[in-house]
Amino acid sequence: MIKPDSSKALWIGIAGIAVTALGLLVSGAHVVATAWLVGVGFWTAIAIGMLMMILIHHIFDAGWSTVLRRQYEHGVAAFPWLLLLFLPLVAASYLGKHDLIWPWMNPDHQIIGGHQVKDDLLYVKKHAFLNLPLFTIVAFGFYGLWIWISARLRKASFTQDSDGDIRWTKMSGKTAGFGIPIVALTLTGAAIYWFKSLEYHWFSTMYGVWFFANCMRGALSSGVLIMIWLYNRGDFKGILKTDHLWAIGQLMLTFTVFWAYVSFSQYFLIWNANVPEETFWYNIREFGDWWYVSLFLVFGNFLLPFLLLLSYRYKVTHRTIRRIAYFVLFVVFVDLCYNILPALQDKDGNPLPFLSINLVWAITSVIGVGGIAVAAYLRSLPSTKLIPIRDPRIAECLNHNE
Amino acid sequence: MAEKPYGLIATFDTPGALMHAAEQVRDAGYSKWDCITPFPVHGLDKAMGVRRSKVPRISLAGGITGFCTGMSMIWFMDRFDYPITVGGKPLFSPLFAFPVSYELTILFTAFATIGGMFFLNGLPMHYHPVLNYEDIRRGTDDLFFLVIEKADARYDAANTRALLEKVGGTQIKELES
Repeated sequence: MIKPDSSKALWIGIAGIAVTALGLLVSGAHVVATAWLVGVGFWTAIAIGMLMMILIHHIFDAGWSTVLRRQYEHGVAAFPWLLLLFLPLVAASYLGKHDLIWPWMNPDHQIIGGHQVKDDLLYVKKHAFLNLPLFTIVAFGFYGLWIWISARLRKASFTQDSDGDIRWTKMSGKTAGFGIPIVALTLTGAAIYWFKSLEYHWFSTMYGVWFFANCMRGALSSGVLIMIWLYNRGDFKGILKTDHLWAIGQLMLTFTVFWAYVSFSQYFLIWNANVPEETFWYNIREFGDWWYVSLFLVFGNFLLPFLLLLSYRYKVTHRTIRRIAYFVLFVVFVDLCYNILPALQDKDGNPLPFLSINLVWAITSVIGVGGIAVAAYLRSLPSTKLIPIRDPRIAECLNHNE
Repeated sequence: MAEKPYGLIATFDTPGALMHAAEQVRDAGYSKWDCITPFPVHGLDKAMGVRRSKVPRISLAGGITGFCTGMSMIWFMDRFDYPITVGGKPLFSPLFAFPVSYELTILFTAFATIGGMFFLNGLPMHYHPVLNYEDIRRGTDDLFFLVIEKADARYDAANTRALLEKVGGTQIKELES
């Protein structure tokens, strides 16, 4: 294959980061750091989803996804860079009064209603979990585990290209066995620590599952975009078959429904129980233009992709499935904004509007982190064979037929 | 010669031969014909020019019916038939009607899919003329058959036989209906 140029992506990333940094002068550190969390969270979600897809491929000893798996193995090369880009948030937590992003890091943080975090019963109860040292360990620990599992899978797959040893396939099967519980627990922990704890009074047992659904939707959509991009470059001519797109499109439909199921359950239980400790989270998100964002989640994140992905023709036509994939990536971004940005509140405790300058910094953060993550993928891409030519399932994948 | 012929059956020895024959029969414009193979042959549907199944559309209709049934049933029962206020909630809200509607969506989709499949395939079918063919059992073992029905508009005993010979079919026989 012709070596792709990763420097363009890198420069776009650096430009995005530079513009976001300029935002510090315009909107202040609190706003920009929270927006940066959206950017890092978005791409980390996609990378976690890719890691999960590789692990699931191995645990089922799947056939059709062998070619796609190789692209995901390149995609997870972004993890070390995502850790690097997450570090500013850890560093910012040690500066000043520690509550630049997460209010619970500062015991003297003033809560709406008069008292301080340290006098708040819910904080006292959650203190063993919500503290700065544990937060730091967890950030390094989670990224460390993701990097380690990715490295094991990459090494096994890439080495097999040269020696063709079945041992590597078996090793990845074992990695999947212990890797799936580890990644499931860490992604849940990450979602709770980084996003949910922004409003630490809140309870939801669905939160980790919600994040997992977004991880998978992001990874599947990226997988579609990567495969069609490689097809258009000519690399995947004769490799990418209609039935591959059909299979991945079905998974996109599955996780659209899964996302809706989880999000609806979370809302429904809280609506039904009607306990103020839980309903406040949704009340904030019905304030101002967040109400329309909420409605967009129902119709844009679920109904529209659901109806489009029901169609066989839309799933296998390159042009349509690519548009759907772009749209799904967009709605994952909106969902993350919906979960993170209402933590930015005015002095009365009302969230700052969705359509505001804050959204600009969230977008530049996504571009900034995205440029680096895509560059990591593009740098990894030419480092080995385009497809895992000596994988025992490769013939099955290339002849995949519904 | 049969009294009332059903159509012509031709025998092929390999899936490849059947596939090429199917392409030519398709291009000759026949519509009422079928292939009989001992195992699924990938790509045969395309060679035969068979379109994708219409069952998903029936499934979708079933799903929409199920969803509307659930919503309207709960709306009627809670709002008019037996209104009780529970937990300070409104008499009707799509939120609490949703789980039931969702279950009914799945149930009706399943019914529509099974029913639609049976209907489109003409099932249950207790008799089929090809079962009279003496070698038909080898169609579940090691031979491949192509059957063109007399009901096809293009059917003509002599021409159709000539076509089947041209595309490489052997032992071309007329089937009793």
